Amino acid sequence: MKTYDFAVVGGGLVGSAIAYGLAKAGHRVAVLDEGDVAYRASRGNFGLVWVQGKGLEMPSYSQWSMSSASLWPSLSEELWDLTDVATQHQAPGGVHLCYSQREMDLRQADLTSLAKATGGQFDFAMLDHQQLREMIPEIGESVAGASWSRWDGHANPLYLLRGLHAGFLRCGGTFLPGSKVHRVHQRGDSFVIEREGERVQAERVVLAAGLGNRLLAPQVGLHAPLVPNRGEILVTERMRPLLNLPTTYLRQTGEGSILMGDSHEDVGFDEGTETPVLSHIAQRAVRALPALANTRIVRTWGALRVMTPDGYPLYQASLSHPGAFVACCHSGVTLAAAHAKRLAPWIAGDSLPSEIAPFTAERFDVQTVIPA
Amino acid sequence: MTTHDLVILGSGPAGMAAAATAVAYGITALVVDEQPAPGGQIYRSIESTPLKERRILGDDYWHGKALVDGLDDPRIDYRPGTTLWQLTRRLEVGLLQGGHASMVQARHVILAHGAMERPFPIPGWTLPGVMTAGSGQILLKSAGLAPSAPVVLAGCGPLLLLLAVQYLRAGIPIAALLDTTPAGQYWDALPLLPGALRNSRTLLKGLGLLAELRRAGVRHVRHVTALEAEGEDRLERVRWQCGNDPEWHCLTTPLLLLHQGVVPNTQVTRALDCAHDWDERQLAWQPRRDPWLATDVEGVAVAGDAGGIVGAKASAMQGQLAGLGAAIALGRVSEDKIHGEVKRLRRDLARETAIRPFLDVLYRPAVHWRLPEDETLVCRCEEVTAGEVRRMAEQGCRGPNQTKSFTRCGMGPCQGRMCGLTVSELLADANGQSVAETGYYRLRPPFKPITLGQLATAAEDTSG
Repeated sequence: MKTYDFAVVGGGLVGSAIAYGLAKAGHRVAVLDEGDVAYRASRGNFGLVWVQGKGLEMPSYSQWSMSSASLWPSLSEELWDLTDVATQHQAPGGVHLCYSQREMDLRQADLTSLAKATGGQFDFAMLDHQQLREMIPEIGESVAGASWSRWDGHANPLYLLRGLHAGFLRCGGTFLPGSKVHRVHQRGDSFVIEREGERVQAERVVLAAGLGNRLLAPQVGLHAPLVPNRGEILVTERMRPLLNLPTTYLRQTGEGSILMGDSHEDVGFDEGTETPVLSHIAQRAVRALPALANTRIVRTWGALRVMTPDGYPLYQASLSHPGAFVACCHSGVTLAAAHAKRLAPWIAGDSLPSEIAPFTAERFDVQTVIPA
Repeated sequence: MTTHDLVILGSGPAGMAAAATAVAYGITALVVDEQPAPGGQIYRSIESTPLKERRILGDDYWHGKALVDGLDDPRIDYRPGTTLWQLTRRLEVGLLQGGHASMVQARHVILAHGAMERPFPIPGWTLPGVMTAGSGQILLKSAGLAPSAPVVLAGCGPLLLLLAVQYLRAGIPIAALLDTTPAGQYWDALPLLPGALRNSRTLLKGLGLLAELRRAGVRHVRHVTALEAEGEDRLERVRWQCGNDPEWHCLTTPLLLLHQGVVPNTQVTRALDCAHDWDERQLAWQPRRDPWLATDVEGVAVAGDAGGIVGAKASAMQGQLAGLGAAIALGRVSEDKIHGEVKRLRRDLARETAIRPFLDVLYRPAVHWRLPEDETLVCRCEEVTAGEVRRMAEQGCRGPNQTKSFTRCGMGPCQGRMCGLTVSELLADANGQSVAETGYYRLRPPFKPITLGQLATAAEDTSG
C-alpha cells in the first residue's frame, strides 16, 4: 500500500485549504472525500470573508480572522495563476445594518471593546443613515445606520472550493472521492484510514470532516464535540449592481444575484427550509433594500454549520496519537487563507501560530465544570 | 394555516380523475394547476381552443372533455393559475395565486403534475427558432398559432408524429420530419410487439399517424444520425447526416421543433427527497411507489406521467387509484370494501400500459443523442458545455451536485429541468458508473418563481 505523507479526511473548505497548503509545500497528500451527496457546509455557505464582530469573547479569534483576511488576496491570486479559477474575492469593507438607535449603540459598544481587546488592530466606524446611503444609495429608509469595517469582504465560496481542489491537484495531490471514512487508527509509525472497500495509509492524518469529526476524533485521542446549526439562504435572479459591498446577511455576487440569510437554527441534521424562516429573511432583505421586493427568488436552501460549543474553531494535535490532527470551524471561507498558509505549515511541523493556541478542546471541559 | 384533506397538484387526466374519485367518498379536494384552464398538457385548452374542427386535434384530445366536466363539482376547489412553489415533508403547501403567496396544510397530497420533454442537446439548440415539439403543440392548441414558413420536426417518439399530423391537418407546411430513431430499433422492439397488441387501439393509432403522413407526402427522413441547428442570431438552417453516409444534408427553415420523448417531471418529488429509481428502459428517474402509488414520504402519492410515462388514459386510471388510496388513508373507506373495484382498475391499467415496453424500446433515444459532443451546451441557463461536465468528472466530481457546485451547471432559473438528465448520464459515462449510482440534482424550493415581496408575506397569510 502506498503511504502518503498526509491524509486529509474531508474535501470541504477546511480540508481542501489545508490539503492545498500541504501539497503546495511539496508533501504527498491524499484527500478523502464523500460522494455526491453529503452534509456539505462548504457548498451551502454564504461567502463572506468577515472580521467585524467576530471574537467578542475571544480576541484571538478576531486576530486569526484578520490574519486570514490579510492573506486572502495572495491566496486568491495564486489560485488564479495556478488554476484559472477566479474566487471573485473582493475586500471593499463590509457593513452590519442596524435598524434602531439602540442597535447602533449596542453595536458600537461591542466593537469598541473588540478594538480594545485586539490592541487597536481591529478598527471600525459607525455610519449614520446618510453616510450609509452614500455607500449604498438604495438603502431602505428604516435602516438607522451601520457599523463599517475595512477588514471585511466576500468571495464566491464555490469557486474558492473549486480553485482549492484544482490547485491541490495541480500541486500533485491525490483526490479520492467516494464514501465516508468510518475508521482511523495508528499502525506503527503511520495511520490507516478505512472506508467502504478501501484503506489509505499515511504518516500523518488531518481530520477535517466537519460534523463527521465527532466520530473520527476520539479514534485518535482527540475530542470534537460538534453540533449542527442550520442556516437558511435565499438567492435571487441576477440583478443590476445594487449592493457594492457585503453586509452580514445580504451580498451581491459576482454574477449579480443577491444572496441573503443568516438564520441560526438548532434543528439537528435537517437541511430543509422552513417558510416562516425564509419569509423572515425576505422581510428583512426588502427592508434593507426595498428594490428587492419584485425580485424573483431562484433557490433557497438550508445547510448545516459545524459548531463547537462556543462557536470558535478547534485545532489540535493528538498527544496520544502523534501525527493526528483535528481541524474544524464554521468560517471555512474567511479562514481559508489562514488554513492554507499558516495552519498547514504548523501541521507539517512549523511552530504553532500564536493566535490559535487557545483553540484546543480543553476549553470545552473547563466550560462544563463551571456552573452556568 | 387552513387545513385541506386532499391537495392535488395538476388538473391533467390523473389529477382530474383523482379529484372525481376522492370526492365520491366525501373528501373535499383542492386542485391547483398553473394553467389558466383544466386539461393538463394533453387536453390543454379543451374548453377554449380555437381549433374547433374535431379532426385536427383528434378524438383522443376531445376524449378529455368528460374529465374536465367532472371538475365542476362543489366538493372540488379547483384553482387555475395557481403555482406550487413549496411542499414540505410535513405537507405544508406553498401556493402562489394572482401574485399572492400563501401556505396551506394538507392531510394528503396527490402529485399529478405530469411529464416534461427529455432534453435534446444538439449543436445550436439554444438558437431562437429552435423549440421543443411540446412547445409547438402548446401554441397550436391554445392559440392556434403556427409558423407560416415550412417547419422542420426532428427527433423521435409518438408526440412528434402526432404533432406532425396535427400540423398537417391544420394546413401548416412541414419541410421535413427528421427521424432519429436508430435503424436497429425496429428489430429490437419486435419481440415486444405481442405484449403491445394487448393495447392494439393505441398501436393502430400510431400506424394510422404514419400512414397519414405518408399519404400527405411529408418528407420523412429516417435514420438521422447527426443533427445541427445553424444561424447567426437565430435559426437559419438545419443540417443532418443519415446512417453511415458522410454527406451532410441541409434545409433552410425559421423553425425547428425538437423532441426525443417525455420523462416524468420529478422536481417536486426530488425536493421532497422521495426515493427515486433509475428506469433503464425509459431512461428516466421515477419516484419509488407502492401499489397505491404512494411514495416513501408519508401522505404523498404520485399519479400519472409524473411517476413514469404511461400516457393519458393510464394516467387517468392511476388518478382513480390514487384517489381511492387517499380515501383509504383519510379513513373514508376500508380497503376490503373496494377490493373488487381496485382489482378491475389494476387489470385495466395493466392492459392500457402493455404497449409501453414496445414504445420505450422503439423510441429509445440513441446514446449519442443523450451524450452530446464536448462543444455542445448542456446547461442553457448557465452556459455549461458537455466538455466542462466531463472535465469535472476528471477532477473528481462523482455526481451532478458536486458538478453543480463547481460549474453552476443546473443552478439557473430552470432548476436543472433542461440539463439534469443529460448531466447525470454524462457523469455516469465519464466516471464509468451507473446512472443510479451517479444520482440527480438535489432540488430546493421555490419550484416556481416567487418574488421576495411575495415570500415576505407568505408566512403571515394563512387565509389560503
